[in-house]
Amino acid sequence: MPHRAFFAFIMPSLAAMLLFIALPIVSVAVQSLYVQHERVVTEVETCTPFSGCTKETRVDAEATEKLRNDEPLGRFNGFGTYLDRNHLAVTEIGAILSDNAGFKDTVARVYNLPFYRALAFTLTYTFVVTPFAMLLGFCIALGVNAIPPFYKGPVIFFSLLPMIVTPLVGALIVYWMASSQGILGATLQVLLNDPTLSLKSSAVLTWITLLVYGIWHNAPFSFVVFYAGLQTVPHDTLESAMIDGASRWERIRFVVIPHLMPLATFVGLVQLMDNFRVFEPIVGFSAEANATSLSWSIFNDLRGQVDQLFGSAAATSMLTIVGVIILLSPVLVRTWRDFNRR
Amino acid sequence: MMVTKRRQPLPLAVLSTGFVLLWVFMAAFPFIWTVWGSFKVEQDFFSRDSWWFAIEGTRTIARTGSAFTGDGYYGAWVLRDFFSSVINTVIVTVSVVVVSLTFGTLGGYALARSGYRYTFWLLMLALVFRAMPHITLVSGYLLPFFEMNIWGYMPTAIIVLVAINQPFTLWMLHSFFLSIPKDLDESAMVDGCSRFQAFRLVVIPVMWPGVITTGLFSFLLAYNDFAVTAMLLSQPNQTMVPKIASFLGTVQQEGNVMFAVAAVVSATAPLFVLVLFFQRQIVSGLTAGAVKG
Amino acid sequence: MAEIRLKNVSKRWHNFVGVDNFNLDIADQEFLVLLGPSGCGKTTTMRMIAGLEDISEGEIWLGDRMVNRLEPKDRDISMVFQSYGLYPNMTVYENIRFPLRVRKVPKALHHEKVMQAARMVELTDFLERRPAALSGGQRQRVALGRAIVRQPSVFLMDEPLSNLDAKLRVSTRAQIKNLQHTLKVTTIYVTHDQIEAMTLADRVVVMNKGVIQQVGTPTEIYDNPANTFVASFIGSPAMNLVSGDIENGTFRGPGITIPGLQTDVKGSVTLGFRAEDASLISEGGELGAAIYSMELLGEATMASFRLGDQLVSIKSGKEYRAEIGDVVHAAIPASICHLFDARTGVRIARIPGG
Repeated sequence: MPHRAFFAFIMPSLAAMLLFIALPIVSVAVQSLYVQHERVVTEVETCTPFSGCTKETRVDAEATEKLRNDEPLGRFNGFGTYLDRNHLAVTEIGAILSDNAGFKDTVARVYNLPFYRALAFTLTYTFVVTPFAMLLGFCIALGVNAIPPFYKGPVIFFSLLPMIVTPLVGALIVYWMASSQGILGATLQVLLNDPTLSLKSSAVLTWITLLVYGIWHNAPFSFVVFYAGLQTVPHDTLESAMIDGASRWERIRFVVIPHLMPLATFVGLVQLMDNFRVFEPIVGFSAEANATSLSWSIFNDLRGQVDQLFGSAAATSMLTIVGVIILLSPVLVRTWRDFNRR
Repeated sequence: MMVTKRRQPLPLAVLSTGFVLLWVFMAAFPFIWTVWGSFKVEQDFFSRDSWWFAIEGTRTIARTGSAFTGDGYYGAWVLRDFFSSVINTVIVTVSVVVVSLTFGTLGGYALARSGYRYTFWLLMLALVFRAMPHITLVSGYLLPFFEMNIWGYMPTAIIVLVAINQPFTLWMLHSFFLSIPKDLDESAMVDGCSRFQAFRLVVIPVMWPGVITTGLFSFLLAYNDFAVTAMLLSQPNQTMVPKIASFLGTVQQEGNVMFAVAAVVSATAPLFVLVLFFQRQIVSGLTAGAVKG
Repeated sequence: MAEIRLKNVSKRWHNFVGVDNFNLDIADQEFLVLLGPSGCGKTTTMRMIAGLEDISEGEIWLGDRMVNRLEPKDRDISMVFQSYGLYPNMTVYENIRFPLRVRKVPKALHHEKVMQAARMVELTDFLERRPAALSGGQRQRVALGRAIVRQPSVFLMDEPLSNLDAKLRVSTRAQIKNLQHTLKVTTIYVTHDQIEAMTLADRVVVMNKGVIQQVGTPTEIYDNPANTFVASFIGSPAMNLVSGDIENGTFRGPGITIPGLQTDVKGSVTLGFRAEDASLISEGGELGAAIYSMELLGEATMASFRLGDQLVSIKSGKEYRAEIGDVVHAAIPASICHLFDARTGVRIARIPGG
């Protein structure tokens, strides 16, 4: 296809992506270097006959408003926002490293810094949910592959539900069941014989609930892809493996799994990308007291009713984008190599 | 044809069937439970005494005289004006699907048919864009949108969702177009079509399965989105999902959690129907990217 | 009028050369076959003529128009694709009518033209079917019908028979030859099958690695291959090629000695001869070796020998019998031999009377 026809065809799509994906990234980068204006403060001297004159500082609301309207970006702050307490917290980390009571103390204190808290949960979620969801999905695929064809349709129908449901809605449904008055929460209380048990009250339980929810939500995707992959396992290879005397497990180990490996890479990549932006479950589970994620921090900064902290949100966004690029880099590097070899 | 040869030994068959049953239960039960519970009063669905109440509807009978009540739905749809957000959702999702598919088929076709190197880089760029968390993009939009005075309107949210959707749509349609033989549009061009005519008269008519599948996923993205619609739409323009999120807090205080439960069930119902009718397309769409890409 | 003229045509992708400096004049009403192994640039050449591929360098003329920048639809050509490129959502009738529809031919003429084309390709019974309900041969004929319906000035055919089974191939081949003769339209036909090339062509262009190896009538390229590539590509079995040395008109290779060749060549050469030109004899002859394998072909018997690392085949009558391992002799007179330069593979011309 000649260049001109190509660009005519791809223009709408490309324009949409550049305007609303590439440009916003630039916008985020710029915003992250600014911080909102401080309130304009005026000094007013009030004199009373008895106590003499006192100087009082007052916020000049009108001037503040005007300044903010004139320069909506705020004032230039360089990399200040990146380094402050709510983001990389360089000073605090320095202090913790130079003066701490052992490893446990260090971890606990670093965990109290908002950015590292969010990062800790985000990474845990990404790297726990992804492999477990894939494993569960693979097991379901093997199981479903063995049941009579008649039942496969309904089983696939129900299996799709946890994935297809709106993430926020899915989180709410599970959250209601897991709350202490819901069926799961109540059952757990009875089983563990602890009437005060509440998944919300402890950080560990909240994390576990979120992780289990994540696996439940993500497993169907792996299942569907692996199930489709199982249908294309070459019969000839399977049969020659049987003739060569491979057991059922050996056939899975040496024929099926190698056949599914490219699919697994694909699923893993997609799920890593999706899980890294974990966000809705935290809102749905109202879990922000015990678990926050990078996406949630950005959301929280932007949601502020009085002041929307654009600078702060932008800085977290930039750090998140760096995270995404680090996650993607093995893929990008490999594709780059493959491409150059061609 | 392989069924007879693949028969499993009994213990393994029992184990694997049991596992599948357990999974189906885990996947389906929360939905069944919540649908059932949405017709009860709060004291039953969130019973302090026993969850058996939720099944029998003890308190519901005491309060309303029947084991089922539509109070939650009445509260959500009428009192809380969930209805208007349903209409907004319809407008947003339909527009997003139509625009996404229009842009996506054109772009996907170009990517599938051009043999030049830059198509590879465009696809890689799309992959990187696909990985961007939506909320980081939203934080890039807010300030400029405020300044340009286009914040809060539905067209803004629609075009943003279309753009966010493009990388995925492009990848998917690109792989569908690759599966259509090049001979087809080339013979159309030799027969007297321009490139665009060949695309419209010959390629699109055989592309419907791919377009429908991709459309389903565009629909799901727009329908399930929370980050963009919650942050970019003003209160009266809100779609269902941010609406649910925004009345979560207030209904909890007022003791009307059942409004939220009813709204959640209402929002899930269309997805049920969708899976029921388009299960095959969804499965093939999920695997298309994996098997071919 | 539809002569086609290609002037210095080249096609390059980044660093890969698809077609290199292609020069050819094709006469009006000529049946020209582009022949070569896959990846030799023959299809690319045709696609450049059709306008489906950009031309990196050079000019293509159809009649008196330079068509480099014309869209395919403006070149007045029609094309039959290897996998036919039928429109699966249209009936046979609609498929054949499609070119008329998009070219805005007056509607009143459509039916007559479609029926005429359908009669020529014997499809009148299948007009309401969709391509999916047709056999391979019928689909092939739909593609042909669609190509002839609007009487273009050039036909392009890209391996149109390669998806048919062997029997159908023979009958469709005859049909194509007959159609071209009736319609008198300049035709360019791409194939990797040398038998198709020999049977159909007025002239054959043998290509390899994007370069023309030889242009000539089927007889010319069979009898006088221009180089070892053409010699080894044309004919079934291909020409036997033996490397060795020549001195004073005598060629010496492993197990083979042929006197009486031209005396002006000296040094290492490649000697070629066709299996059917040589004959097996009981004593003497130019070649004496153990039989490596025997093949019964029905109308003949083929004996092959291993000379060094080359396999040499010699045809004999159908009654000839010998066992593998038997030592036999063959007569390979100098008159049937072709000499090629050992390094470049180019034919060494025979000097008259030499």
